[in-house]
Amino acid sequence: MTLRLRRHTFADDQPLMMAIVNRTPDSFFDKGATWAEDAAFERVGTVVEQGAEIVDIGGIKAAPGVEIPPAEEKARVVDFVARVREAFPDVVISVDTWRAEVGDAVCRAGADVLNDAWGGADPELVDVAAAHDAAIICTHTGGVTPRTRPYRVEYDDVVRSAIEDTVAYAQRALDAGVASESIVIDPAHDFGKNTFHSLEITRRLGEMVATGWPVLVSLSNKDFVGETLDLPVGERLLGTLAATSVCALAGARIYRVHQVPETRQSVDMVWSIAGRRRPARAIRGLQ
Amino acid sequence: MTRIALVPGCLALLPAYASLLDPVPELRAACATAVAWLGEDVRIVAADQGRRVAEALLATRTGVAGDGGSSYLVVANGAATRSERAPGYLDERAFDFDRALAKSLIAPDPAALRAVDTDLSHALWADVATLAPLADLLDAAHLESVDYDDDPYGVQYWVLRWAS
Repeated sequence: MTLRLRRHTFADDQPLMMAIVNRTPDSFFDKGATWAEDAAFERVGTVVEQGAEIVDIGGIKAAPGVEIPPAEEKARVVDFVARVREAFPDVVISVDTWRAEVGDAVCRAGADVLNDAWGGADPELVDVAAAHDAAIICTHTGGVTPRTRPYRVEYDDVVRSAIEDTVAYAQRALDAGVASESIVIDPAHDFGKNTFHSLEITRRLGEMVATGWPVLVSLSNKDFVGETLDLPVGERLLGTLAATSVCALAGARIYRVHQVPETRQSVDMVWSIAGRRRPARAIRGLQ
Repeated sequence: MTRIALVPGCLALLPAYASLLDPVPELRAACATAVAWLGEDVRIVAADQGRRVAEALLATRTGVAGDGGSSYLVVANGAATRSERAPGYLDERAFDFDRALAKSLIAPDPAALRAVDTDLSHALWADVATLAPLADLLDAAHLESVDYDDDPYGVQYWVLRWAS
């Protein structure tokens, strides 16, 4: 399906890199490296240079911690979105938030996508997306409260749950008036899931792709990779890329990542193996 | 007027083997110029694989006007042993072989084309099976233009045009 992220349109055979830009002092991977606004802005320039089509700006880390009220979240992201919008008119700006109030403010500042990592915890977020003709990412969390860790969560069938919840969320967005070409689903690895769940979601990602909704995967350096390989944050790139390749073969469209060039190479390679992308420049045996 | 064009059987010219970045842009452009010049009704002189290349080149033509004459598209190329990276590795004999062949084609010298050393051409991985029928076509022809003469991947390609 052709994807429209507000003013940006992408062909259905084009995989997209969504680079993570944290305006947080405490996110798990970068540990505050882009907490300062200028550092975050520099990070945007770097990932745009590296070919990321989307930047995903977040003002609150996913893990539990100090409560960040909406005013503080807005202070972290709204003016920053406006600054990025002005400096990089061609990049898609996504904001990682579950709050409608924040979503409205960032859309006014120029955001194109609301990345609701918490599965519709704020029911009014879809109305905000519709009002601004923005795109929305519908994730599966199993119904957990934002910023909580999974604790003894089990599913009869985690993939069925992910499909049912994200498709229902997509329908809710559609009913609220979000354009059908602007709705993306995300199984949300690690969110409301143990490592076995995230591995199964990865293995069976094709079932989510078969729903017809574009699928986003957020795998980058996550705990399910670390637990599978017994590696700490900082040593999970290869595992991330292996999981990325499996999702790419299944047809995931958007990749939310810390490392853009490495992921791009992996996805391009798999995309070509799958016959969806031509080799860059093939002459071997064809002279 | 009879129009004759020569192109190489380079498989990278086939749409099925297209890359994001064309590895043979100059060759492709030269081929396009030559086949456009041939006019509407073109007979192909090629073995099976070369025929596919010729058909692909003809299929991509646009805005071709015919003048009622007969036209021929011949597929052949020189040695594929012109560098260590060449498909047939480096064989120094390739340079003299191709130099002589180029001279015979450009003249054109049909008798010399009929006399090409088949054993040596085989050893040099040259695609010359169509030189005999080409020689027959060139008996009364003159060279119109040399559109391409290079060996970008260790294989000698020519794009040539003759008329009679």
